[in-house]
Amino acid sequence: MERSHGFWAEAWRRYRCRPLAVGGLAFVGFLVVVAAFAPAIAGTKPVLCRYKGRLYAPCLGYFDRRLEPAIFTKDKFRGTYPRNLAAKDPESWALWPLFFQDPYRSVRNDEWPGRPENPAMDQGRPSWNNLFGTDQAGVDVLAKMVHGTTVALLVGFVSMGIAGTIGIVVGAVGGYFGGWIDTLTSRVTEIVMCVPTLVLILSIVAIIEKPTIWHTMAIIGFTGWTGIARLTRGEFLRLKSSEYVTAARAAGAGPLRIMLRHVLPNALAPILVPITFGIASAILTESGLSFLGFGPPPPSASWGSVLNGARSNLGMWWLVVFPGAAIFLTVLAYNLIGEGLQESTDPRLREARK
Amino acid sequence: MPIFFRPTNPGDIVGRICLTVSMAAALALPGCGRPASEPPLVAERESPSGQAATSPPPPVAERPAFAPPPLADLDRDAKWIDRPVKDALALLREQQAKETVACSVAEALALTNDSAAANAKILSALGRLPDDGQADLEARIDRHVAGDLGSTNPILISSAAEFDILGLTGFGLFSYDRLLEPFANAETVISWQTSADGLYDKVVLRDDLVWNDGEPITAHDIAFTYQVIMDPRVPVPAVRSGTDQMQSVHAYDTRTVVFFHKEPLATNVWNINFPVLPKHVYEKTWEEDPTLKDSPEHVKLEEKPVSGGPYEILSRKRGQEIVLRRRANWSTVKGRVVREEPYFKDIRFRIIEDPNTALLALKSGEIDEMILQPEQWTTQTVDDAFHRLNTKATAPEWVSFHFAWNIGSPFFADRRVRRAMSYAFDHDRMLEKICLGMYEPCAGNYPPDSWMASPKKLVPYKQDLDTAEALLDEAGWTDHDNDGIRDKEIDGRLVPFEFTVLVNQQPFRIAVCTLLKENLEQIGVIANVRPVEVTTLQEMMQKKSFQACFSGWGSGTDPDSSENIWKTGEMRNYCGYSNPEVDRLFTEGRRELDRGRRAEKYARIQEMLYEDQPYTWLFWRNSFYGFSKQLRGYVFSPRGPYHYSPGAGSLWKPRAE
Repeated sequence: MERSHGFWAEAWRRYRCRPLAVGGLAFVGFLVVVAAFAPAIAGTKPVLCRYKGRLYAPCLGYFDRRLEPAIFTKDKFRGTYPRNLAAKDPESWALWPLFFQDPYRSVRNDEWPGRPENPAMDQGRPSWNNLFGTDQAGVDVLAKMVHGTTVALLVGFVSMGIAGTIGIVVGAVGGYFGGWIDTLTSRVTEIVMCVPTLVLILSIVAIIEKPTIWHTMAIIGFTGWTGIARLTRGEFLRLKSSEYVTAARAAGAGPLRIMLRHVLPNALAPILVPITFGIASAILTESGLSFLGFGPPPPSASWGSVLNGARSNLGMWWLVVFPGAAIFLTVLAYNLIGEGLQESTDPRLREARK
Repeated sequence: MPIFFRPTNPGDIVGRICLTVSMAAALALPGCGRPASEPPLVAERESPSGQAATSPPPPVAERPAFAPPPLADLDRDAKWIDRPVKDALALLREQQAKETVACSVAEALALTNDSAAANAKILSALGRLPDDGQADLEARIDRHVAGDLGSTNPILISSAAEFDILGLTGFGLFSYDRLLEPFANAETVISWQTSADGLYDKVVLRDDLVWNDGEPITAHDIAFTYQVIMDPRVPVPAVRSGTDQMQSVHAYDTRTVVFFHKEPLATNVWNINFPVLPKHVYEKTWEEDPTLKDSPEHVKLEEKPVSGGPYEILSRKRGQEIVLRRRANWSTVKGRVVREEPYFKDIRFRIIEDPNTALLALKSGEIDEMILQPEQWTTQTVDDAFHRLNTKATAPEWVSFHFAWNIGSPFFADRRVRRAMSYAFDHDRMLEKICLGMYEPCAGNYPPDSWMASPKKLVPYKQDLDTAEALLDEAGWTDHDNDGIRDKEIDGRLVPFEFTVLVNQQPFRIAVCTLLKENLEQIGVIANVRPVEVTTLQEMMQKKSFQACFSGWGSGTDPDSSENIWKTGEMRNYCGYSNPEVDRLFTEGRRELDRGRRAEKYARIQEMLYEDQPYTWLFWRNSFYGFSKQLRGYVFSPRGPYHYSPGAGSLWKPRAE
């Protein structure tokens, strides 16, 4: 007899049959790759270089300024590598990013030998030097978007990570124990539901000294868990009276073990669906905030902030089309993943589609 | 028309004194938000300090009862010196008669303003006053204001919109011309004299002046208004500073009023210039309700104030529009024509906060004029859609912008560090790439072409990263821990050179700060740009809880108006600058009555500030205006085309052919 695949393997087998859902997953995978290798795709700092006999990776400076080797500051490189490397050490060599463009500033005239300065104001139409055009300040849109991918992904994962954790814990406790605990957690959930996320974010941004993207993520996370909590509670209510839970209890398992080991794995599938949708909406919220100017501090590389640049001049269509398409596709991809998950894990839907 | 002026006041009488912060509004949600680009009036034109503009009322105990000497005694001892009494419009007409017109009106209207030459032609041909019978006296002008009025009461004014309206509806004795020279207004005054010792000013009013309710305007109204302004119970936001320099104002009869000064100051000519309330209206009500706003009578007056100027308020829709109507009994009193009739029958102020919406309204002909943002000037007013109905003009304005360094913070206490910041900043690139060559470089607190500016022709610090690095090294900011960022040991702790630059949420201003960040990063200093909302920025500056910030000031007409920015411990001295020599020079400058010797003192102040760099001065902002092709008569002063005399009064529309 063939061995049973188990729930997740079975779900994956069904998921694979849905080309749209797989496409969504592939797109998110692509974004992860872009985010991880952003400094190697677009930047003005060498990915790898040999300078005065040692190997350095100045491109790490894009992740954190302190990771950029101090020797280049000491030797007065002042942020421009191509000519300085050759001038200060003729023996040096460097491996450059795919596109020599900086997400935070305009590339100067002849900074890369023979290339003119980026066009600024409304002159930055897409060209061979700037595939997606440049914004008013002359910053390359492609570079901004490549580096902005990190933000878009992080916002989704971190905020929904927080929301998922809180939502599952609150929902599980309430649903499993019932009684006054359930009343308490349900009321707390309802109260949090009343808090308008956007207003909260705006006021927090006004209060804190140095608002970063992490604050935004935290707030989206801390306010966005209610739907998940309700769903978890429902699942726990349903499952806690099932036979195998009773059996586990009879065998002497404690509530924590029952909740984590027996109930949660079976309740997880329907909970994952709102989490994926939540990721999509978190990305939208973040873009909306950046669009309004409440995003990460300038000069920031985020999709929403590119869109914001188009607000004063709608004639610069490339500031609308490219980041708009990126946001749209990412949100679509997450929604497709969510739908795929839903349909491949819910047996009722599965039957209905046959 | 009267133009009121408070030089010592940060309020926007001094023009667009701006903590150039735009109000991107804390709640800029789609649909209900304010745009980030056009600052509404608080930001653009009002004082950075808002409420702080309310000068503290003098304690009652300090004001002993003042007994005015009899007029005969005064006349005997004062040795009166005559001061100028002018009709601003007639003066402008005289001036223009001598000018040669650069081109015909039709030619000017066909021009696109894309060069200095075109701009000069447009101003020359379209900025002229009408010949006899040329103006359409039944015309209406639709003007643009970026925010509604807080109050229509003359003495409660503080925002630019309120000054715009008050300039047309208010009664005043004094004004100043295009070159910002003060004079008494011939429309209201017969003579103005100052005593030889500078302690008294005597003004004789005309006898053909009436309020729009028909009551005569007398010297008693002026003395009464002074009394109300100085009463600590009345919440006067802006006009008290200045009047508080006086000892008293006394009306000897219905036409003669004398201003008594505490000291013979060069700034006294500004102190006597304040708006006037109708005594017969407020006499009974103000004691009961010193707020001048709350009682039923005052609420009614707020809607329809009694007006003493050429216009009266016809109707008002809050947040939408204010319509002014020309007063019949301004130019014609008791059947006699006593004054020239203003050029417009109606003046409608449209309130539109969003500059993009306002531009659409201008393009479609709904409004006749507006202030343009630099970006609108360069990219959105160059096409036929704009030129179909409109033209535009620009001129230098006395509004400057700077980075302010908080001397109280551990980073900027050392002068070498502040100079290093100035040397690090790529000033040329800012002028060329961000200001698009449209603004003049600024190197100090006084406009280079003004009489008080230093003759040394100061120029902005030119970017020189080697000097900047050397200065920082000298000041002890080197990279001790080898992480590429400069640091210094302060109180046993290694502090990295990482600070925050506050800026208001306007793309243009953020771009300037971003350039600073980029430049500083090249020499191992981290500047975090933090855009904040206008009120937050004001508050943080007042509390001095900032490290650096991007802001701006409108220069007053008198150099003394910047005293409270630079003197130790003064209200607007946000960066905590203190230099005993500067303090002394400001005090002396105010007492010095000879202009040449005064100029030397202010030039010295400017030179010292230049050396100390408490600010890194950036640029002088020009004024950019879009005008309907129907409009004529705009003449620019260093305070824009409206805020002087005749200013807004010189606009007109030609009669239809």
